[in-house]
Amino acid sequence: MDKVIGIDLGTTNSCVAIVENGIPTVIPNRGGYKTTPSMVAVTEAGKRLVGHIAKRQAITNAENTVYAAKRLIGRKWNSPQVKNSVATSSYRIVQGPHNDVRIVLRDKEYSVSEISAMVLQEMKLIAEDYLGDEVRKAVITVPAYFNDNQRQATKDAGEIAGLDVIRIINEPTAAALSYGFGKNVEKTIAVYDFGGGTFDISILEIGSSGVFKVIATAGDTFLGGEDVDARVIDWLVQGFREEHGMDLRQDRMALQRLKDAAEKAKCELSSVRETEVNLPFIISSGRNEALHLQRTIDRQALEGLSNDLIERTIDICRQTLSDARLAKEDIEEVLLVGGMTRMPKIQLAVAEFFEREPCKGVHPDESVALGAGIQGSALVGDKHDMVLLDVTPHALGIMTQGGYFEELIPQNTTVPTHRTKIFTTSRDNQTAVKIVVMQGESERAEEDELLGEFILTGLRRAQKGMVEIEVNFEINADGIVSVHAKDLETSKEQSIDVTASSGLTRDEIRNMMEGAKDYMVERRSSEEFEAAKQEAERFVSEIERLLPQVEQIVAASDFGRDAIDKARTIVTKARSAIAKRDIATVKGEIEGLSRTHRMFKGVVAKTH
Amino acid sequence: MTDEPSKNDDTLPPEPPDDVHANERPTVNPPFDLEAFARVASAPSEQPRARSDAPTNRPPSLHGIPQFEPEPRTARITLTNEVEQERARAQSGRSVTSSVLSIANARASSSPQVAAVQAAEDGGPPPGAAPSSIEAAVLDAIGESAPPEITERMIEDPVAEMRERFSLGDYSGALEMSELILAEEPDHVDAAECAENCRTVLENMYAARLGPLDRVPVVLVPRAQMRWLSMDHRAGFVLSLIDGSSSVDMVLDVSGMPKLDALRILHELVQQKIVSFR
Repeated sequence: MDKVIGIDLGTTNSCVAIVENGIPTVIPNRGGYKTTPSMVAVTEAGKRLVGHIAKRQAITNAENTVYAAKRLIGRKWNSPQVKNSVATSSYRIVQGPHNDVRIVLRDKEYSVSEISAMVLQEMKLIAEDYLGDEVRKAVITVPAYFNDNQRQATKDAGEIAGLDVIRIINEPTAAALSYGFGKNVEKTIAVYDFGGGTFDISILEIGSSGVFKVIATAGDTFLGGEDVDARVIDWLVQGFREEHGMDLRQDRMALQRLKDAAEKAKCELSSVRETEVNLPFIISSGRNEALHLQRTIDRQALEGLSNDLIERTIDICRQTLSDARLAKEDIEEVLLVGGMTRMPKIQLAVAEFFEREPCKGVHPDESVALGAGIQGSALVGDKHDMVLLDVTPHALGIMTQGGYFEELIPQNTTVPTHRTKIFTTSRDNQTAVKIVVMQGESERAEEDELLGEFILTGLRRAQKGMVEIEVNFEINADGIVSVHAKDLETSKEQSIDVTASSGLTRDEIRNMMEGAKDYMVERRSSEEFEAAKQEAERFVSEIERLLPQVEQIVAASDFGRDAIDKARTIVTKARSAIAKRDIATVKGEIEGLSRTHRMFKGVVAKTH
Repeated sequence: MTDEPSKNDDTLPPEPPDDVHANERPTVNPPFDLEAFARVASAPSEQPRARSDAPTNRPPSLHGIPQFEPEPRTARITLTNEVEQERARAQSGRSVTSSVLSIANARASSSPQVAAVQAAEDGGPPPGAAPSSIEAAVLDAIGESAPPEITERMIEDPVAEMRERFSLGDYSGALEMSELILAEEPDHVDAAECAENCRTVLENMYAARLGPLDRVPVVLVPRAQMRWLSMDHRAGFVLSLIDGSSSVDMVLDVSGMPKLDALRILHELVQQKIVSFR
């Protein structure tokens, strides 16, 4: 049976999980961390950095470090979120050939799916290192509000990374799956997800026989833990300016250290009441000396700095409940997801709003990945007792006269579904109508997303409003939207299947897959060389340490001198192969080095 | 023989035991010619080395802060190495600021730990020691005075100077000169080539001094005592990247500095015994 990994591809951090012997488990990365920053960088030397290492140089190499690519994935160049990202990101975002978004790193353009693929590839590697086997299949999570294009772009990212994405599931659904795993629960729950870069609130129904249904979802894609970090940085910068009259923001190295320290302090204040930020030699005074930053911050100060941000999340919760026509009492459980929910003030605010203590049974950083792992296991295993009922993240409809949006399928409708509505012509003797299919919540069509369009021709000539056209929307279980328009009098009809597009062509995806494969081969070969090099160097160092003693011991015999000459030749060969990065020769010399080392050890041991 | 002959340098006489009774063990004849060994052992050493366990005159550590300790001078006069040459060149740049050559070198001496190294070697105050009021006033005055302008015009033939420095193995100086030329003439092919070569040589030199770049550096100084060290903010930044799990290669990658600068700083931190390797 194929192993299926579950990946929480987050805005700031990603996490990978698997079900092993029936137990969902998060897989730690090489550094032992269970989450990996969703960051990609390219160094001056052209080396690709992913994860923690990319994060640690995010400010000093800001122009070439991509963070929060998830905010851009599957979006069109002219979308408001892209405009916002262009204005606030330190890396260059440019328009792609298909009105999509591209990111420039060291003068090379990458699609957003390609960048996300680098993160997914890293998660795949983490899983492969852990399992000792290749991983091909994955379930990836996305926010519940992601539209079809964003979901398709995430799927494409998985494909570029060499993964067969067998299912895309909603993040709150995954968290609920993790919460409901092994339990027989039937509840209406709220998933309050406050992560590093985004905030989401979702209301779900967990029904009998493991049916999970998203009732409502909302959020803010530009509100997260990083905003709290920014407040702490401001506070530290202000304090330093008052003390020394210097602006730490002017120095990238200082800012990088401030960012790391602010995040660390924020995390520590979830468990302790106060903590010290100690950054020696943070900036040059300009007088041949460096200045130090040393300040104590307490929990109360942090809460004061982030109060309005917490309030914003509660306002969104209030609005979401209202939109879903639910009362607080209808919510039977509140799950806290995302690192920020460790903050006591947030736990208190959520408890006060929902008038109940939030559930402590799910891990804020891991539950989404665990849920994806559970779903992956269920999809390939024998147990098919979990049915995920997802909903349309946005309303679907058509554009009508005056540029208005007429909704046919409301937001949060469970799929599969179909709806029909009758429309009439808007001009006298109109013989054709254009059906413009859109997705969104705004009454103004221009503010919604265009999914596709087609023309129904051959209408009967008549006064305006006299010809009736039936428009039917249908969404199947695979999420494909079919729109039919029919002249009720003549029965003439036209239809369109709206398939999601990430903005990449098949050829582009294929090329990117090839590029990703080449990178993997190069990386694996480099890792293999490093391992062989380390082993060879260890033997060389030991042989050289023992050599003077052995020389002395065997000085009198010709046979000994011959052995020493041979040993020297092997060491020289190994050194030369290491310098030339000739992996085959390095590997070939290891056996000789090992033999020599054993022999030297034996000779020395005999003298003692 | 001592208990652990492998620890003894073959050119040094056997070490007198601290505790005679500790060495009272039955001995067996070694499988080689004892007399020959004795002859070799008593012969004058060809390459006498400082014993690692020899007593030193190092003063007790001040609050546990590692003090810079110059390498003990060997009995034989040896040629200097590139790193010492770099250090000396940097020092000369600080002490003799009147000549054109030393002014150019003085820029290179902004290398972070040079001041500490120089202080230690000159027998001056230990790194981190607070300057006296007079020293502070002098330092302030130096800090406030404008740094000397280094322009190509101050040197008669900068290209010749650059080539000469390169041929003499003064790669840092040659790099300095080539950068000076490139600032005036960005397309100067010789200067660009020389700068590239100098960087490569210097990078290799510092990398060789640091050893394998996959080793993991660790900070030896307790965090609370770090501020008493003498270093600049760039060294402070590099030090902040050393987390006990990242290799030298990773530190170089995340430093965001030119590789040569990061290597130089890291090397100085190791020299100052602020950083070591796992």
